[in-house]
Amino acid sequence: MRCEDIRDRLDVIWDGQQPLEVLEHVRQCASCAQYQRDLRLVRAGFHLWKREEPVEPSLGFAERLVRRLSELSKAPSVSDFFERVGRRFVYATLVLTLLVLLALALPSTGPVRGLGAADIQISAQEASLAYSDPIGEAGVQESSDAAPVDAPVPAITNEVK
Amino acid sequence: MENSGAQVAQEIQWIKRAQQGDSEAFGPLVQKHQQRVFSLVYHLVRRRDEVEDLAQEIFIKAFRAVRSYNFQSSFATWLSRIATNHCYDYLRHERASRVSFYWQMGENSQQELEANAESQPEEVLDHEEQTVLKDLVNKLLDRAPEDDRKILVLKELQDYSVEEIAETLKLKPTTVKVRLHRARKRMLEDLRHWREENKGHAL
Repeated sequence: MRCEDIRDRLDVIWDGQQPLEVLEHVRQCASCAQYQRDLRLVRAGFHLWKREEPVEPSLGFAERLVRRLSELSKAPSVSDFFERVGRRFVYATLVLTLLVLLALALPSTGPVRGLGAADIQISAQEASLAYSDPIGEAGVQESSDAAPVDAPVPAITNEVK
Repeated sequence: MENSGAQVAQEIQWIKRAQQGDSEAFGPLVQKHQQRVFSLVYHLVRRRDEVEDLAQEIFIKAFRAVRSYNFQSSFATWLSRIATNHCYDYLRHERASRVSFYWQMGENSQQELEANAESQPEEVLDHEEQTVLKDLVNKLLDRAPEDDRKILVLKELQDYSVEEIAETLKLKPTTVKVRLHRARKRMLEDLRHWREENKGHAL
């Protein structure tokens, strides 16, 4: 019989009497003998743990627990509230991120346009222009062909009555 | 028999009321099962001062989850499942000490302890030797893989039947038998390796 088989059988008969052939092998095999001693050591340790004085609940444990439960069920809203709000915040952030990614991923030309860098630059120029020249005169002076057509020319009349 | 039937009916009533959110009805359930939960928690964590706090957390968890209890297994088994999982969540955050008193004994004392462990350990061993032996098993359980630890505690310390273990761990009884056998063997193999590692350290 192999040591492995012997050890299997030693374990199976963890709590009982061992057959003669197992005992014979153990007598001749130092390694299995140590295994058997270890097995007894561990089994004895388990027995000692099992015999330990049990831990008793302190007096009024159940009553205190019920009180705690009713307190908790009266005010469950704090954690629930944060959980709900937290979950909504996560969803909102996800949707927002998705929208931003979509806007950046879309081509900057074509029928469906994303917000390209060029657009941002133009917007910035327009904004600074509007700030320094709120009426739009600078633009009119610079473009020579646009001004005379559209701009209403005030009629200067020297009427003498 | 009639009395036991009435007790079961009463327990079902308490559970149904607790499922409606009635914490008062949960009180008798705690009273009924607290001893079992305390014992299980103690054997799982093996630290007396932690037991009551952990038991309280387990009952609170159970009350919050009581709506999910579907009467398929016994309430005691359902509670044991919650207790086992909760204790392992706790133990995962605890780092166990890797040194055992056993390796600090002289070789002669180790051999004496081995010889004494063959007969009635509680009658032959003195208090110090008992402490050493319990500490050794404690450390071996700490070193064991989580699944082995659960099954060994339920069987060797809590005396659960194979069927009860199967229900608690949601396994088939045949799987429990195989795993129990493997867990014992692995623990002994680990002790052998540990012995090799500590050979030079024995006094």
